[in-house]
Amino acid sequence: MSKIGIIISREYKERVTKKSFIITTILIPILMIGLSMLPALIMMFHEGDTYTYAVIDRSGIIQPQLTDTSTLKFVAIEDSLSEAKQNKDYDGVLVIGRDILTNPSDVTLLNHSASNMDGEMEIRSQIKKAVEDERLKSYNLSNLSEILDEVRAEVNITTYRIDDNDGEDSSALPSEVSFAIGLFVAFLLYMFLVIYGQMVMTSIIEEKNNRVLEIIVSSVKPEQLMLGKIVGIGLVAVTQIAIWAVLICIGVLIILPGIMPAEVMAEVSTFNSGQFDASTAVNDPYLISTVAQLSEIGYIMELFGYLTLFLVGGFFLYASIFAAIGSAVDNIQDASQLQLVALAPIILSIALATMVGSDPGSSLSTWLSMIPFVSPILMMMRIPFDIPFWQIATSLILLYATFFFMVWFAAKVYRVGIFMYGKKPSLKELIKWASYK
Amino acid sequence: MQNILEIENVSKHYAGHTALDDVSLNVPRGKVYGLLGPNGAGKTTLIRIINHITAPDAGRVMFNGHQLTQNDVAHIGYLPEERGLYKKMKVGEQALFFARLKGLSNRDAQIRLKQWFDKFGISSWWNKKVEELSKGMAQKVQFIITVLHEPELLIFDEPFSGFDPINANLLKNEILALRDKGATVIFSTHNMSSVEAVCDNITLINASRNILTGNVAEIREQMGANRYRMAVTDSVSNLLAGIDPLLAEHKIEKTEGDTTTLIIRANPGVTRREILRAANESADVTLFAPALPSMDEVFITTVENFNRENK
Repeated sequence: MSKIGIIISREYKERVTKKSFIITTILIPILMIGLSMLPALIMMFHEGDTYTYAVIDRSGIIQPQLTDTSTLKFVAIEDSLSEAKQNKDYDGVLVIGRDILTNPSDVTLLNHSASNMDGEMEIRSQIKKAVEDERLKSYNLSNLSEILDEVRAEVNITTYRIDDNDGEDSSALPSEVSFAIGLFVAFLLYMFLVIYGQMVMTSIIEEKNNRVLEIIVSSVKPEQLMLGKIVGIGLVAVTQIAIWAVLICIGVLIILPGIMPAEVMAEVSTFNSGQFDASTAVNDPYLISTVAQLSEIGYIMELFGYLTLFLVGGFFLYASIFAAIGSAVDNIQDASQLQLVALAPIILSIALATMVGSDPGSSLSTWLSMIPFVSPILMMMRIPFDIPFWQIATSLILLYATFFFMVWFAAKVYRVGIFMYGKKPSLKELIKWASYK
Repeated sequence: MQNILEIENVSKHYAGHTALDDVSLNVPRGKVYGLLGPNGAGKTTLIRIINHITAPDAGRVMFNGHQLTQNDVAHIGYLPEERGLYKKMKVGEQALFFARLKGLSNRDAQIRLKQWFDKFGISSWWNKKVEELSKGMAQKVQFIITVLHEPELLIFDEPFSGFDPINANLLKNEILALRDKGATVIFSTHNMSSVEAVCDNITLINASRNILTGNVAEIREQMGANRYRMAVTDSVSNLLAGIDPLLAEHKIEKTEGDTTTLIIRANPGVTRREILRAANESADVTLFAPALPSMDEVFITTVENFNRENK
């Protein structure tokens, strides 16, 4: 085995056999699933407070059409506004103007406490509907209510992606689902870059502190040690991703069909066979297309394949910066400022991710996902949207070229940095070290 | 090839300071070579250059007659002054790791490690983590790691620090045994008595320069020329009155009862007989013998003289 191989295997074994690795590998997916389900669970068990509003309807038309909901109660009152305002039994007073039909904005809501957004939205939509209905009635159409029932429609879009080659359009995920998946993988990558990047840094600082370094570099070149360490730790990250990919595959193959109602799975299989018709579907077509897509192992593998490629590229890029910083300082405290150099672009990319995800096809998104430092996270955000392959390839090539340069640069800094003790260097000095012989 | 290592006009500069300034020295094969010098003189930098850890700015290093390359480090064993091991790693696993980095196969490393562990009586440590060992214990492991690949050239930086006298002696004997088997040893230390005991040749580095180099016995001989230890039972002033014209300098070493011991240095060309004759006339001489300076004295005198001249 080559020397670098010996170092890689030591770094890898040391971490993979650690209890903490095994625990986090199992715990993080559980935690993530738990966290993503938490808001839903809270909604399920939390009964929202009920707000009671006194309604003064000067038009006399709207009030009868307001319907109570689980969180809103409407009480018609005869009192004047000033009297109603005194009455603390109500959470607020809703005043509907006399000419509401001609001036729909003539609505006032007076709250005793902080206003509540959901309530306001509900009131607005109820009044809107009432006004619209009243206006329609003025046309004196017969059996109006039947017509209205027929007119109102729930719209669901089944999205397909136009295939330029063989003409058979493949099904695509609804944008919301793509967005969620994109954000999930982008966040995963963010986590990996930060955690594993810092792992490289701390490990170097530790070696420097316990002086093991001096012995190792009398056997191998400092550059080999640095590279071996980065590769070893990178392999740990890839191992973790691979384990998760397998867990997710098991999840969708075994657990998903188990927890989904049978009729959903039946429609999923019609969807997969291409005979799905959204207009006759029993279940929400969004749900069906999402489940269909997610339970396709090929899709998950592809996603994780790209994730691995961008993880490796991004990790090498950032790990070499972290390595250079680690080599230059004596302890973690000294590293905190310099670390920002590496952390800032990672944080910036996660901040840009939602923007890119909401319009993944725009030229701004496309360009951003090509720029090496932010490209891993931003490209992962875009990939679930089925973007052209050449964009992914270009982004990868640029990323890998940059990481080669960065590793070379970091190796030069590292070689000097590991023998510098005591003084806390500035970024400028670090860059200067790279030119030493 | 008589010299295993030849350092030729090596210089190394760091930002704002010079670590080595035109240093040359030759290390003969199969000898113990002392690398001496005050703290911060540049010894560690020189050792790092020999280990191919850093490159010199100027000059070159010849190893076995060719310019030193990365491959040569497999023939060098280095025990740094500031030593450390991976704390969380098991002793045996760690020793194997370092042995394989030096190019030993897994099998060879296992066999040799077992021999050394038996020899030092530490076989039971194999599965212990380094953090469970005491400092001295860890140093033993480190010594084994340094010599395991049977290097031609061994570099020990303060090898005895942290050892009790028994273990220090054990280590010294191992080092000498390695020399007897043909290894060359470079020995960097501040402990001058150990230099006298084990070193054949030395180089003294001060302020980035080689200020003294040569065979230990010859250096002491040379610096001890015309230097004698003399003891008298009479008054010292009487004695000095008699012999002072012959002396370049004198120093009272100790006074015990009525016996006073002096270290004297005679003027060049003055014979022992002349000194003795003059002394006998003015005092009762109980001891007169050549006094070779200890390496401690050689070190202090040379460094102080150098610093005075280069102020």
